[in-house]
Amino acid sequence: MSSVVSAELGERFPDVAALAAALDKTGYLAGDQLSSALFLAVRMGQPILLEGEPGVGKTEAAKALAAALDTVLVRLQCYEGIAAAEALYEWNYPRQLLAIRLAEATHEQVKDTDLFREDYLLARPLLTALDHPGPRPAVLLIDEVDRADDEFEAFLFEMLAEASVTIPELGTRRAMIPPIAILTSNRTRDLHDALKRRCLYHWIGYPDAARVAQIIRRRVPAASSQLAGEVAAAVSRLRGLDLTKPPGISEAITWASALTVFGAGTLSAEAAGQTMSTVVKYPEDEQAVKEVGLASVVGHD
Amino acid sequence: MTDGPDGAGGGGPELTADVAVLAAGLGVALRSAGLPAGPDRSERLARAVTVMRATTIAELHACALATMVSDPSQIDTFERVFAEMFGATVPGRPAIAAPQQGMTVEPADEPAPADSPSQATTGELPPAVRQVDASSSSSAGDGDGDDLRDVPAIRRVASATERLAGRDFAQLSPGELSQLATLMRELTIAIPPRRTRRYRPRKDGDRLDMRRTLRQARRTGGEPVSIARRAVRARSRRLVVLCDISGSMEPYARALLQLMYVASRSGGTGGLAGSLREASRPRTEVFTFATRLTRLTPALAAATPETMLAKAGEAAPDWAGGTRIGAALREFNDRYGARGMGRGAVVLIISDGWETGDPAILGAQMARLHRIAYRIVWANPRTQSSRYRPEVGGMAAAWPYCDAVVSAHNFEALDELLAALRTPAIRRPPLVPGSTTGPTAAHHAAAAAQPAAHAADSGRAAHSAPRAAVTFPTEPLARRWTSWR
Repeated sequence: MSSVVSAELGERFPDVAALAAALDKTGYLAGDQLSSALFLAVRMGQPILLEGEPGVGKTEAAKALAAALDTVLVRLQCYEGIAAAEALYEWNYPRQLLAIRLAEATHEQVKDTDLFREDYLLARPLLTALDHPGPRPAVLLIDEVDRADDEFEAFLFEMLAEASVTIPELGTRRAMIPPIAILTSNRTRDLHDALKRRCLYHWIGYPDAARVAQIIRRRVPAASSQLAGEVAAAVSRLRGLDLTKPPGISEAITWASALTVFGAGTLSAEAAGQTMSTVVKYPEDEQAVKEVGLASVVGHD
Repeated sequence: MTDGPDGAGGGGPELTADVAVLAAGLGVALRSAGLPAGPDRSERLARAVTVMRATTIAELHACALATMVSDPSQIDTFERVFAEMFGATVPGRPAIAAPQQGMTVEPADEPAPADSPSQATTGELPPAVRQVDASSSSSAGDGDGDDLRDVPAIRRVASATERLAGRDFAQLSPGELSQLATLMRELTIAIPPRRTRRYRPRKDGDRLDMRRTLRQARRTGGEPVSIARRAVRARSRRLVVLCDISGSMEPYARALLQLMYVASRSGGTGGLAGSLREASRPRTEVFTFATRLTRLTPALAAATPETMLAKAGEAAPDWAGGTRIGAALREFNDRYGARGMGRGAVVLIISDGWETGDPAILGAQMARLHRIAYRIVWANPRTQSSRYRPEVGGMAAAWPYCDAVVSAHNFEALDELLAALRTPAIRRPPLVPGSTTGPTAAHHAAAAAQPAAHAADSGRAAHSAPRAAVTFPTEPLARRWTSWR
C-alpha cells in the first residue's frame, strides 16, 4: 500500500521544481532551499521541523503543501499543558454510559470489549492524521511545538518515528499511509535533541525585499506592483530600526492590504501614518518610528 | 572509489563520488567542526541524495542543509565546512544570513580537536578546518568558544550592549542605560503568589469539585461521567518598591526604576513556562524618597522609560537631596503600608542606607514594616564589595529586618535581585530585639555574621548573634509551594 503511495507521490513530484511549481500555484512562494526541504519531507516520509521568526510563513508552508498535494491538513495547535487526551484520542464516556444503561434496560450482558471499540473512540488530530484513508498522505501540522511541555515532545516520538500509536484497549494502530508531519517552532525554548534528530530541519529566514514584494503581490492582488515594492522596502527599513517586534512578512501583507483599503496607490508618509498600527505593535516601537520620521521610513527623505 | 573532495576539486558541478562515502565524509567533517552530526544523519543524507537524484553541488547542498543541521546557529559552521569540502559557495546563501539580522553573531568557532578521526576518506579535511578556525577566531578569545556554542544565536544580542552588562550602573551614561533596556526586557520579575481562600475549577486540581460534578451529572442521567476538579486560587502579591533617589543613589535608582518599568510590561520573552509557574507577575507600586515620600506608580504608565524617568523627576522634586529613610518609611507605613498596601507584599527597598536622620527611627519603622510585609528585600549597591559591613547607622539598624540583601549594582547582579524577589518566605519566629536573625543572600552570608562582632564591640551585645538563617528556598519548601497550587 505505502509503496503505491510513494510511487504516486514520486510521479506527482519527480523533482524539486515540480513541487515548487505546485506550491507556487497555491500562492505560496517557496525559496529553493525550503522547496528542497519540503520535497525531501514528502518523498522520504520524514517529519520536518520548520523554525523561523514569527510571521515568516511556517504555518502557511504546511497549508500550501496540503493544498499542493490535494490532501487534508490536520492541525494540532500546541499550548502549555496540552495532554494526550487533547492530541491523540479520548474515549467517549457519555456514549459508553448510555450503552450500559441501554443494556441494563433491555437486560443484556455488556462486556468490556463491547464498550472499548472504534465506535466509542473520539479521534483527536494525531489519530485523525494516522487514520487518514488516502489516497495521498495527510499533512499533519504540529504548530508551535515549543509551547507544549517537554513531556509532550517525548510523547510525540513514537508517533513521529513509527507512525503508530498505542491504545491500551485496542492495541497498536499503525498508519496505513503515514502522514507528512510538519512541526513548527518559534524558538521560545530549545526543543529536545531527540526530537530534532528525528526531523529534517529548515530555518525560514526573512527574505530580501524583492521577494517580499513578490509575496505581497501574490497575496494582495489589489496592490499595485509599485505599492508592493515600496511596502517591502519600508518593512525592511523598519526591520533595521531595532524594534521590540520587527515586522515580518505577515505584517507586510496586512499593511499592503490596509493601504489598498485606503485606496493608496503609492506609499506616502500620510498613508503610512494612517496604517502604521498594522505593522508596529508596541508603543515603544511607535515612538522609535516617530523619532526616525515616517518620511524616511517610506523612503521620501 | 573517489572521495568527496576529489569529486569537487575537478571544478565541475557533477557529483561523481559514491553517495555513502560522501555522506559519511561530510558527517565526519561536520562533527569535528562541532555539529552533532552522527551516523544516523549521514545515512539520512545519503537517502535524501538518492531520493532527490541530486547531481549538482547546489542540490547536494540543499539535501545536506535539510538533514545535517538542526539549529540556526549551526548554519554558519555548516556553510564553512561545506565550502571547504566542495569549494563552492552556493546560490541562496544570502537568505541564510537572515536569522542573524540586527544582531552580531560570531561564528560558533571551536578549535578542532587535534586527534580528530581523520582517516582515509577525508584525510586532508581537519587541517583545513583548523586553518579556517584560526583565521576567524582571532578576535574572540580561545576559551569562550564552548560557551558561545551553547548560546542560541538568536539570544545573542549585540555585543556592545552585552559589554555594558558588567559595568556598574554609576558609570553608565543615560544613552547606555537605555541601551540596557533591551537586555532588561528579557528579564521577568516574579514573586511568590498568595493562596486565597477561594477555589476555582481546574482540570488538574487536587480536590474534587463535588458541586460541579453533580451538576454535570444531571445531563447524563445522574451518572457522574466527568469528574470536575478544583484547586486553590493563587493571586499575585503586591510588589512595593521604595527607591532612594538621594545624590549618591541616583544612577542606581534610574537603572532599577527602568528595570521595574521594562520588566513590568515585557511579555517575559523567556516564557513563564514550567519552573516559574509557581511565581507570578506582581502588581507593582513604586515610591521614591529622599527627604520625603512620593508615590510614583502613576508615572509608571508612561510610554517609554525616558518619559517615565522624566515624570518621576517632576513628581519627586527632591532628586539629589539628603536622605531620611526612617521618616520616609514612617510615612509609607502610616499612609499606605499599614492600611493594606504593605500587607502580604514583597517590599523592595533600594537604598545605600546612608541615613541622615536618627537610625533608631529607621529600626522601629523597619520592625513595623517587617511585621506586615511578606518579605523585605534590600538592594544596596554598596554591598557589592565583599568587605562591606553594615556599619552605617541606618543600614545596621535595618539589617536584622531584611530577608535578603542584594547588591544589584550592575546588570549581571540583577539576577541575584530577581532570585531574591522570587524566593518564598519561610515562617519566621517573631522578631524581638535581642534575638534577631540577620539577612543572608548568597555571598553576604559572611557579611551577615560580621555585624555581630561589630555590635559586640560597640557594646550592643544584645543585638548580636544574627544567626545565618537561610533565606533561599530549601528544597522541601519549594515543593510545598508547587503542591499548594
